[in-house]
Amino acid sequence: MSLRVFAEFARMGFLDMLAYRLRYYTGVANYFISVSVYYFIWKSVFAANPEFGGFRFQEIITYVVVGWVIRSMYFNNIDWDLATAIQEGKISMEMLRPVNLPLSYIGRAFGEAAFRTVLLCFPTALVLLSVFPVQGPRDALHFGVFLLSLLGSVLIVANVNFLVGACAIELTSIQGLLRFKFWMQELLSGLLVPLALFPAPLREISSWLPFEHIGYTPMLIYLGKISWAQIGRTLLLECFWIVFLLAFSNWFWNRVSRRITIHGG
Amino acid sequence: MAARIEVAELVKEFRIPQRREGVRGALQNLFYRKYQTVRAVDSISFEIPAGDMVGYIGPNGAGKSTTIKMLTGILMPTSGRVISNGFRPFEERSRYTKTIGVVFGQRTQLWWDIAVIESFRLLKKIYDVSDADYEARMKQFDEVLELKRYLNTPVRKLSLGERMRCDVAASLIHNPPLLFLDEPTIGLDIVAKDHIRAFLKQVNQQYGTTILLTTHDLADIEELCRRLMVIDRGKLLFDGPLEELKRRLWRETSVKFDFRDREQAQKLAAMSIPHVSVERCSELTCRLTFPREAVSTAEVIRRVVNSVEVLDISIEEQSIEEVVKQIYTGQVLQEAR
Repeated sequence: MSLRVFAEFARMGFLDMLAYRLRYYTGVANYFISVSVYYFIWKSVFAANPEFGGFRFQEIITYVVVGWVIRSMYFNNIDWDLATAIQEGKISMEMLRPVNLPLSYIGRAFGEAAFRTVLLCFPTALVLLSVFPVQGPRDALHFGVFLLSLLGSVLIVANVNFLVGACAIELTSIQGLLRFKFWMQELLSGLLVPLALFPAPLREISSWLPFEHIGYTPMLIYLGKISWAQIGRTLLLECFWIVFLLAFSNWFWNRVSRRITIHGG
Repeated sequence: MAARIEVAELVKEFRIPQRREGVRGALQNLFYRKYQTVRAVDSISFEIPAGDMVGYIGPNGAGKSTTIKMLTGILMPTSGRVISNGFRPFEERSRYTKTIGVVFGQRTQLWWDIAVIESFRLLKKIYDVSDADYEARMKQFDEVLELKRYLNTPVRKLSLGERMRCDVAASLIHNPPLLFLDEPTIGLDIVAKDHIRAFLKQVNQQYGTTILLTTHDLADIEELCRRLMVIDRGKLLFDGPLEELKRRLWRETSVKFDFRDREQAQKLAAMSIPHVSVERCSELTCRLTFPREAVSTAEVIRRVVNSVEVLDISIEEQSIEEVVKQIYTGQVLQEAR
């Protein structure tokens, strides 16, 4: 798929979101509530000790606030979109276009991310940063690399969502799987708790999965908690996951779409 | 002329899980399932030459849509061969779909919540249509389908007729040599139907676009299609010109005679003509029904007017609906083949 067509799908994703912009006006409040809950939990944890799991209080609050702010950007719903398209048979119309189906969905995810950046991420950041004691990025270079790694977050989330949504071809009911993926992502991206605080076995498992590159490693870069050597290694790993997931999505889609059944109409 | 579509012994089978009843059955379903194999398309073969307009009809569930989905590359055939526009539709889908247009009457390829024009813009980019071609085609679409009024409206706010006009236009934006339409006139009012039919006729004549359409509205066939294929329970029952179908199945003719006075009607009712059955419809009318092969219409009329005084004569043709109903209900299945 050419970049022009990819950009056009992103544009459609953006416009599609615009049709339902009202839904996002409440989004800022939702994020504010989530962050507030974590603020008070961490406050009580840090009441006893000045440092916990290698984080100081202000660092952990920064981790929580910036973590949720970037989540408001990289999160998307293409898993639901794809699953419904498959279950309602609308997928047949999409398969009739001479485009790479996984890439067309990932293009839409980019449009959704652009929309969220403007209508959700910026307002949320504005509110949260003015309320909570957040520290700035380590330095300009770290911030730049952090932003770059966010591009990877969007790609990984979109790809994982595509794969999970595509399972609707095989499963009559996909809700359970989507919920499971949702919580896996919230947990293993380090959104709920920094992965450094996980028990060793869980930490080991998560290091073999792509989820930590969605939120956890970008946050470590922002805070300057890891060395440049580690940053380089992380970014490389992130690139590997993106390439692997893209290839896997294509392979997976080509396989399962053979078994597609669309009844009626 | 070269064939646009070649289909040989095409088969599609679906595995349908068998559900058991009751709580016990539901629990059993959890662990092992029984499947039933359903043959939706059962070894059909045909060829469609370039520039043809072919109607594909059959009762609900006959296998029409499944065939179209295999021809368009959405479904993988269980066995058999399809070559369309020189491609194998499923295997070479991404290159093949550039060369076809598709309309599914029950679905839309337009983005539901976004203005129609945006979907057209996306399609323009996908099919890499030049600005000049795009402008020219949009102008032509507007002339017949009167699109301009809807272009800035989100699809969800369009009426079915308006949406279908947009969908038909969208399927032709890249001027494909081959167009599939699955029930393009379903649910439309007569004006919208006319618009769509006129447009399809124009496209076929102007660009030589090959068109295969399924429908339940036989007026679509009568107006558009030179050739008709009838499918039922996955099997192709008839393939040929509409006239031939009528000739084969239309086995009886009825002629109605009106009279000025009762005596004449009585007289005819009492007459006996070989092969002809006479029915007294009312005081002043009689209907004569006879097999087409046995006796000609002219012969029947001549014999009647020679012996009774007739006011008016009307020949009652069997409508295409009745002909097709005969096929669907299985009355003439074997003979038709």
